[in-house]
Amino acid sequence: MNDLCADIGYHSINKYGEELCGDNVQVVESADNSITIVLADGLGSGVKANILSMLTSKIISTMMAEGLKIEDCVETIAQTLPVCSERGVAYSTFTIISIINNEEAEIIQYDNPPVIMLRDGEEYKMPITEMFIDGKKILRSHIELRENDVFIAMSDGCIHAGVGESLNFGWDRKEIVSYMETFFDVGFTAKTLNTILLDECCKLYGGKPGDDTTACTVRIRKREPMNLLIGPPSNRDDCNKMMSLFFAKQGKHIVCGGTTSTIAAKYLNKPIRAVMEFPDPEIPPIATIEGVDLVTEGVITINKVLHYARNYLEDNESYTQWSYKHDGASMIARLLFEEATDINFYVGMAMNPAHQNPDLPINFNIKMRLVEELSECLKKMGKRIKVSYF
Amino acid sequence: MKITICIGSSCHLKGSRQVVEKLQELIAQHDLQEKVELSGTFCMENCQKGVCAMLDGRVFSLTPEQTELFFKEEILPKA
Repeated sequence: MNDLCADIGYHSINKYGEELCGDNVQVVESADNSITIVLADGLGSGVKANILSMLTSKIISTMMAEGLKIEDCVETIAQTLPVCSERGVAYSTFTIISIINNEEAEIIQYDNPPVIMLRDGEEYKMPITEMFIDGKKILRSHIELRENDVFIAMSDGCIHAGVGESLNFGWDRKEIVSYMETFFDVGFTAKTLNTILLDECCKLYGGKPGDDTTACTVRIRKREPMNLLIGPPSNRDDCNKMMSLFFAKQGKHIVCGGTTSTIAAKYLNKPIRAVMEFPDPEIPPIATIEGVDLVTEGVITINKVLHYARNYLEDNESYTQWSYKHDGASMIARLLFEEATDINFYVGMAMNPAHQNPDLPINFNIKMRLVEELSECLKKMGKRIKVSYF
Repeated sequence: MKITICIGSSCHLKGSRQVVEKLQELIAQHDLQEKVELSGTFCMENCQKGVCAMLDGRVFSLTPEQTELFFKEEILPKA
């Protein structure tokens, strides 16, 4: 077991005018510490393609995660997919990226644009073996993983971006490679890299994609623990216990809340200094305590972080806000969404009497719900979350 | 002279940012940057009476509207 992990981001843009997407991505983690990612592109578009791709990705990811052989998966797909009445075939192309123990990757491709692999900032040509299952040509590669390896799986909507409009023959795979190489060293997360790619596709299509366009980016990175403390413990006598457990943890430390940071400062025996700047008028200022990586206000800030987290899981549009701003919420967002892989929440259950005022949009229940919802969102981002209550 | 304004959750919602900005503006207007130190603090544990402010050990309860009056009565004569 190494200290690497897979950071995965994916998103689809629907063909212009379609309600449903004909591409589908499934990610399944299995007990033996492997992750299977399937990107399927169903024949045609709309409902039919949606069902085909969903069935394909679900069947393959479930079977692979249970340890079945690829031959069996493909056979099952061929035999179970409903046959298209117009074209007389049951058809959905797919790409499988299977990451085993965070040490090696198995990449299996059927008719989607070839997976792009970036290593040390440039394209790495994967060794490929061909095999035929049921008359279908399947490409297979096996890679020993290294830190910072990036894999990009795409549906053909990406390489067809701009056909006949801004580009004669669509966005050539080679061009996509050199476009993505330029972002390699910045250290963007998989989700961000993926958004960058799809935004460009959408731009080339002139905002009206001619096909369902999907990308899935996997980035191999080091695990990064992060700890977030919010709220004083319900029993005042537990302050020291809570603080010593929190500060003993490896990784960066974030403290949220006025009273909470006062307790933390007392524990560390360091002064707390408020930074009198309002980079975002909605968000209270941050503060500094020596020994704490970030000190912010509590409920209002976390509420904003939750707002960013929800958007991250959708179209990630607010990335343009939190990726650079210096208010507490944006800073927490960067630490939790981008830097961290394992997050420990230390939640104090004390009630702040001043917050129980019905005129204020904050109260105890809201605080608890914020933490719960935020940790749900972070789980969906693929983070490992642990919440401890005091 | 040191004025400390609470910027915790409750006080923030009650307008501590406006209070801080108003005071910054007034201090600059009267050229008192050298004499008056404006700082912030998290919770002063007096949330019901927000926006909380502390001036030479005395606690005040402000609103954005009262800030100018507070400045004229409490700060200007002593600065």
